[in-house]
Amino acid sequence: MIRTLVHLTLAVPPFVLGLAWQRQALGVDPQKALILESGIWTFNLLLLVLALPLAARWAGWPQLLRYRRAVGLWVFAYATAHFTFFLSFYLGWDIARLAEEIAERPYVLLGFAAWLVLMLLASTSTRRAIRWLGRNWKRLHTGVYLVLAFASVHYLLMIRSEWAWPVSYAVIALVLLVVRLRRVVRPQG
Amino acid sequence: MTRVTDQSSYRRRRFIAGALGLGAFGAFSALRYGDSVSVANETDQDSTSKSDGDILLFEDTGERLTTKHAATHYNNAYEFGWDKTDPYQKSGGFELKPWQVTFDGLCAKPGTFDLDDLMGMPFSHLEERVYDFRCVEAWSMAIPYNGRPLRDILQVVEPLGSARYVAFTSVLRPEQMPGQASAFSTLDWPYVEALTIEEAMHPLTFATFGVYGDQTLPQNGMPFRVTVPWKYGFKSPKFIVRMTFTETRPEATWHLENPREYGWYSNVYPDISHPRWSQATERRIWSEGEVERIPSRLYNGYTNEVAHLYPGDRQQYR
Repeated sequence: MIRTLVHLTLAVPPFVLGLAWQRQALGVDPQKALILESGIWTFNLLLLVLALPLAARWAGWPQLLRYRRAVGLWVFAYATAHFTFFLSFYLGWDIARLAEEIAERPYVLLGFAAWLVLMLLASTSTRRAIRWLGRNWKRLHTGVYLVLAFASVHYLLMIRSEWAWPVSYAVIALVLLVVRLRRVVRPQG
Repeated sequence: MTRVTDQSSYRRRRFIAGALGLGAFGAFSALRYGDSVSVANETDQDSTSKSDGDILLFEDTGERLTTKHAATHYNNAYEFGWDKTDPYQKSGGFELKPWQVTFDGLCAKPGTFDLDDLMGMPFSHLEERVYDFRCVEAWSMAIPYNGRPLRDILQVVEPLGSARYVAFTSVLRPEQMPGQASAFSTLDWPYVEALTIEEAMHPLTFATFGVYGDQTLPQNGMPFRVTVPWKYGFKSPKFIVRMTFTETRPEATWHLENPREYGWYSNVYPDISHPRWSQATERRIWSEGEVERIPSRLYNGYTNEVAHLYPGDRQQYR
């Protein structure tokens, strides 16, 4: 019941975006709008996924953790949409061009690497994979912090002169990372 | 040492956590979408209709143009803000008149001229030319410009033989141009750009007083800009108030900001790798929502006319 509600809620941003696209409400260049919006919402969800355990611990709310995997899978879905828009609008599905982009442009490399890690995490999120991986599953899935680091730098590299948005996201990411590291150093703190 | 937190304070914390989550979502939405929502409500009063002819043709040649709506609602003018919609949204308070341009530096007849003097004829008599505006961000538009060759104006002030460059300075009005007042921008204002004297005197280099027969569009750089069709768009300075002839190479705003990405020459070179945007293809914007990916052309299609300006290895003219 609640799980359905979680999925429905997380489906709202892509639904609104899709509706705006279909109704031609994304402005003169909807391609660019789709790429930017899918990117920022991937980041939003990524922050949410990492904030959930903090809230669960601080507010004594372990139920929140049940939905972490659902949110995580949505992060992958959003990221896939972001990547698909880039491939389609900017590269016209020219895979040779993609290789060139990855080799020559660090922000593409970081975005692509983040997506690969997310794919690995998503594909090991089935019940069977979790059982099979055992303790290694947890270790593997701390890789989400790698995604966070890649995403932060990916966004920072977008800066041309206006820095407010990317820097804000990088600061939030850094805070989440520090909080997490402190817990590793002092596990009961 | 564990501190036990009692149930009621957990309940309070859950409430706070929930409120923080909702607050973050609200703040994000307001900051990111607040502007566009308020604009969407005003769009009805807009003078250009979104569907001003899905296909617009240039009368003289029959070639296809980008619609005026698209070309005036999707612009880069960091003076008004970094977003493509800022220039039309935030230029309402910009005063187009009176406008004067000062010519100084290495020329025999320096001075300050009114816009009408620079036009030298009624606006309606100016030449109309279609250029493909090619942004370094790899999108482009086909736009009809109203103006005259810049050389006709420059010759009046008689540049000296020692003048090797022309520097353009844009207007500085932070009170009318919110992007110039932004605390989050790293650009130095006013905007400056420059061309070599040969580039400035080239017959394709166009002193521009209007687009689509319209003089009242600050988002397109009016009342006075220079259009250089074989270079990336930022090399075509807007809102010009000063032209200075120099012997040494002048600075240019984007080049100062990041010389790797914004070369001083910035000719359109589709085959030379660019650190941020591949320049091999461009996304041609025809009308709102109609975008076509097309191959980019060397010198934006003007190789025959301008290649002689750039002898030797093209890398030095990127």
